[in-house]
Amino acid sequence: MTDAVVNLSGVYTAYEGAANPSLRNITLTVDRGEFVVVGGPNGAGKTTLLETINGMLRITHGSARVCGINLLEDGVGVRRRVGYVIQNFAFDPLSPFTAGEVVLMGRYGRLGYLNRPKEPDIRAARQAMKMLGIEDLADSPIGTLSGGQQQKVLIAQNLAKEPEIMLLDEPFSNLDLIAKRSVSTLLHDLARAGITVIVVSHAFDDLPPRPIRILVMNRGEVTVDRICTPDKVEDVVRTASGSDARA
Amino acid sequence: MLFGRHQEVTPVLEFLIPNNVVCHAVEAMLLASIACSILSVIIVQINMGSIGFTMAHAAFAGAAVGIFFSLNPTLTAIIAGLAVAGLLGPLSDRARVSADTALGALFGISMAVAVFFIAYLQQIGRGFDASGLLFGDVISLYREEIYALALISIVAILLVTLFSKEIAAIIFDRKIAEAAGIRVKPVYYGLLFMIAMTVALSLNIVGGLLLYIWLVMPAVIVLQFCRNIREMFITAPIVGACISVSGAFAGLNHSLPVAPLTAILFSIVFAIAVIVSPRRRVTVRKN
Repeated sequence: MTDAVVNLSGVYTAYEGAANPSLRNITLTVDRGEFVVVGGPNGAGKTTLLETINGMLRITHGSARVCGINLLEDGVGVRRRVGYVIQNFAFDPLSPFTAGEVVLMGRYGRLGYLNRPKEPDIRAARQAMKMLGIEDLADSPIGTLSGGQQQKVLIAQNLAKEPEIMLLDEPFSNLDLIAKRSVSTLLHDLARAGITVIVVSHAFDDLPPRPIRILVMNRGEVTVDRICTPDKVEDVVRTASGSDARA
Repeated sequence: MLFGRHQEVTPVLEFLIPNNVVCHAVEAMLLASIACSILSVIIVQINMGSIGFTMAHAAFAGAAVGIFFSLNPTLTAIIAGLAVAGLLGPLSDRARVSADTALGALFGISMAVAVFFIAYLQQIGRGFDASGLLFGDVISLYREEIYALALISIVAILLVTLFSKEIAAIIFDRKIAEAAGIRVKPVYYGLLFMIAMTVALSLNIVGGLLLYIWLVMPAVIVLQFCRNIREMFITAPIVGACISVSGAFAGLNHSLPVAPLTAILFSIVFAIAVIVSPRRRVTVRKN
């Protein structure tokens, strides 16, 4: 018996107001502690897959269970147990939030209405910042940090949630070489600790030294689903999606 | 004068301000500025300045429709504001346009409705002076209006206190807040509801054309100095109330139009705040 945390069966999803589905007939099972890389050309549906798994998109057909929760019934419940680091972010230099406050926001969902963060929440936020090596930035306004630092803050925010699944959309895109390696190692450690890691990426140089499950997407469908070593991931994605793989 | 009944009432601040008219006006400006200033922090931080603008004009249109059909104009102004709040999300989602674009469309529709009914009222000989709704008429207020403003100010304070973490997360980034597992929609629509109510109730005091100043300026003034959202929520109503009360006193004592004068005061304070702001000298760290 497998320990599946993601179980999608014949899933179609569509953005609000869109005539056509963005994902088509996705059937996918991901086990606890798996490390999955999602590749494919731009517009293939990679981000859409992540937003489907965390319940932010409307499922029009099919069934979906994530962390044992029926996604069609309780998307918020799923999001409280799934970390999702978004791809595009740009914070105003005058944004009135410090990095520490942003990380603590990762705990807000599980607290529910009217409850204030308590000592365990603050401790979890501090621990998450420590794991990313950004504890000294806790009091810095988020808008004054560099893109790489902001990326780490968002990863820490989702770690503070103590998720069962971490979804990361292009997590290496704003990071320098050293930061890429440290984040890659962190994700490897998370997977070893039993947290499922699903990464959308165009950068395959710094994947952790472990078997990687690779999903290649094209036009809203999963066209390749196989396990390979990190050094083969780029070849698999290129071959499956043609010259657009790095577009 | 949006409320239909006139009832004599002793102003709460009479012990400070013996003149009944001035006292009423000061109370109204104080309460309207507290509610508007609290909401201005949210409006400015979620980059939805046009929401105040559109709701003010929707309320103006609602009041015109109410007068045409001999209904309570405050009630129809509230309904029009709520209609904008309710239409905003579905319109931007279904038409696949930004919320700002949807607000632009709703603003145009609101103005068209308002102008149509005002012109038609005049054509059929039921013309009324719309200047009170456009520029405010702070001296023709009734007890119900003051009580309603007091209530909405208390509700605004309670809302931002009880749901401070949800509001903070939505202000930071609505998508990130949703991904964090926060039930964003009820809070977001609750805020829109509050804005609609505040706008409708403040319409007769500062006017549909000037209300935008109250819904934006307090936040942009304190943003020049505050480093966190809590400070903004505390200082914006204080600054808004001080300027509004000063404007009311100055306007009534020198027989000047109160709301336009106060709007000019807001603008002067904003200009000074920008010039002296320490936050303009931020240092951006690089990797």
